[in-house]
Amino acid sequence: MNRTGILQVVSRKLAPFVVLFGFYLVSYGHLTPGGGFQGGVVIAAGVILLLLGQPPERLEGLVNVRLFGLVETVSLLLFLGAGIIGIILGGAFLQVLLPTGSAGRITDAGFIFILNVVIGMKVGAGITVICYRLFMES
Amino acid sequence: MMVIILLVLHIALGIFALQVRDMLVAVIALAAVSLMSALLFFFLDAPDVALTEAAVGAGVTSFLFVWFVRKTERRSGE
Repeated sequence: MNRTGILQVVSRKLAPFVVLFGFYLVSYGHLTPGGGFQGGVVIAAGVILLLLGQPPERLEGLVNVRLFGLVETVSLLLFLGAGIIGIILGGAFLQVLLPTGSAGRITDAGFIFILNVVIGMKVGAGITVICYRLFMES
Repeated sequence: MMVIILLVLHIALGIFALQVRDMLVAVIALAAVSLMSALLFFFLDAPDVALTEAAVGAGVTSFLFVWFVRKTERRSGE
């Protein structure tokens, strides 16, 4: 398959904005449409777009699979930890312990913001690793 | 009215994706079906589902299908 420079240039210029939009979706998940899963998938799509633009011989070792797997596992443990801290201190799973304030601000949502960020990290890292391993499998 | 147009486009693109011989064109038609789904969800006041459909259906799934087409035959045999 012959390839032109258009794919490389467009993916390099476009992918950072896709990743930024994913971060926006994750961090504003409780205020606007979006959330952890959607933002994570958009982040993973940005990373995949970045990978697609590279020539195939430069792909080797571009994504640290062990690090991404570690991020995925640790985010699962963080989610469980946030729930179990609620059991210990508040009496229920995922009991909100942080102070909640007025609606409309990111930091006033209690645990929801943290849980969205954790789920975004988990989904983004997981889908990136899946597609990268598939990419390298040849 | 918009919903009916989008549904007709769904059916037309689906039939096109089934009938075309080139697998890569079929994959792109499937991505277009996904995009129409996202638009339909958006017009039906479900922007959350629309975001998921656009990200998963038109983004990651198209990548996977293009990769599978490259691994196998591009032309479908008669």
